[in-house]
Amino acid sequence: MKAENREVFPRDPSKTYGLMALVKGTSPQVEKGMEDTVMSWPHLIILEVLAALGTTVLLLFWSLAASAPMRAPVNPEISDNPAKAAWYFLNLQEILLHMNPVLAGLIIPALVIIALMAIPYIDRSKKDIGVWFASKKGRSIALWSAVYTAVWLIALIIFDEFVRVRSLVAESELMAGWVIPILVIGGLSTLLYVIIRRWCPTTREVMVGLFTAFVVSYFLLIISALFFRGYGLHLTWPWDLPPGALPF
Amino acid sequence: MSNRMSNVLNKQSITRNRVWRSIFRHGYPHDEETQSRVMADNLLLHIHPVKVKKHSLKITYTWGLGFISFFLFVVLAATGAWLMFFYVPSVDRAYADIQALETTVAFGILIRSMHRWAAHLMVLTVFLHLCRVFYTGSYKHPREFNWVVGVMLWVVTLLLSFTGYLLPWDQLSYWAVTVSTNIAGSFPFIGEKIRILMLGGAEAGQEALVRFYALHIAVLPLVMTVLIGVHFWRIRKDGGLSSKAEQEEEHLETAK
Repeated sequence: MKAENREVFPRDPSKTYGLMALVKGTSPQVEKGMEDTVMSWPHLIILEVLAALGTTVLLLFWSLAASAPMRAPVNPEISDNPAKAAWYFLNLQEILLHMNPVLAGLIIPALVIIALMAIPYIDRSKKDIGVWFASKKGRSIALWSAVYTAVWLIALIIFDEFVRVRSLVAESELMAGWVIPILVIGGLSTLLYVIIRRWCPTTREVMVGLFTAFVVSYFLLIISALFFRGYGLHLTWPWDLPPGALPF
Repeated sequence: MSNRMSNVLNKQSITRNRVWRSIFRHGYPHDEETQSRVMADNLLLHIHPVKVKKHSLKITYTWGLGFISFFLFVVLAATGAWLMFFYVPSVDRAYADIQALETTVAFGILIRSMHRWAAHLMVLTVFLHLCRVFYTGSYKHPREFNWVVGVMLWVVTLLLSFTGYLLPWDQLSYWAVTVSTNIAGSFPFIGEKIRILMLGGAEAGQEALVRFYALHIAVLPLVMTVLIGVHFWRIRKDGGLSSKAEQEEEHLETAK
């Protein structure tokens, strides 16, 4: 009240407005004023036109170079060997080789979709919006997580091919199809989490690490099933693939 | 005479008449006022704001993946409608229709290949778009729900591609779908029911082909279109593309 009485900013009777108060903080216009925007026409439109044209040209040349696949007509008696799903489902087909179909075909995909949808409700800080990989630390976590996931995945795929978990515990589908896969996935994810914690990361940086593990698994499993699985879906080299093994 | 011809060919003779001006109310937008009005008044363009953040135009920020995914959907709708002219979803005709498309229909192979490769490309760009949004932290408040819609769009994209896979009715499609529906059939309790619901019978046959066709050309594109509408609407309502500038807002809020 005292400060107001001293009238640091006396009201000018000829003006219809006056200074009301001083507040701390930068102006809400800082860094997002008009000078930080451009007209959508032409700046945005030209980019969209270029992207559309580029995509069209790419598609045209791709389609001229390679025709869509067409195999023999349906014969329910004879199946292709190997019978592969569309390439974007081959990661599912790959994990199907290593665990119970309910786990691989239902529980894991459902958990992945739920976990993806839950991300923004777990990581609620607005600190790193608009920054690739959150921070320098996030970058190293992502890189580390990618290497960790890749090494383990390749090792596990090779192990299951040549040692065969199912032959180790042949009599028990519960062990081979459920317990061992869940323990391996759960254990390796926990280990990854524990290692990421050593960086003292924020929630967002932990997310970056775990999401990277998902993306690397997603693509590596596709690559494995697409280029490295031949007759009977056994491991082989890409140059030894039987004819028609590539599903396109 | 040649003078007259050049008058007819003159660009202005096309634009300076009542018909043209009834369609395009503004001339070419040279000044900022017309540039604003063209964005606000045009049905196709009004989805965008009149002004955009410079930051959101940076190629290395978005890689244009969202727009390219949408554009591929448009290409797929156009080529898909064209393919429907020549295709009957019957086990007796489907395979022969595709063969006829490749041998007797003009540009048949080209359009079918474009449809196929665009679908593959879209599966890829949608997933890469999802990765871009994640790695730039663009799912954060207030965009949480739009991220959820985005995940749904990814799933619908996969389903669209999957349902289209069966339609050529060749060995590749038949066994891919048999393998996939067998996985669903192995689920406990309701697995077999789901499998029969998907196939319309004990194994992939005429009923399955019609179901996949109806899902592929009507149900899923409709779901996709509605979700795309919600997705785009919310981009605008949530303040356009995410940017670093939004970090400051929080500092202000915490300072108070």
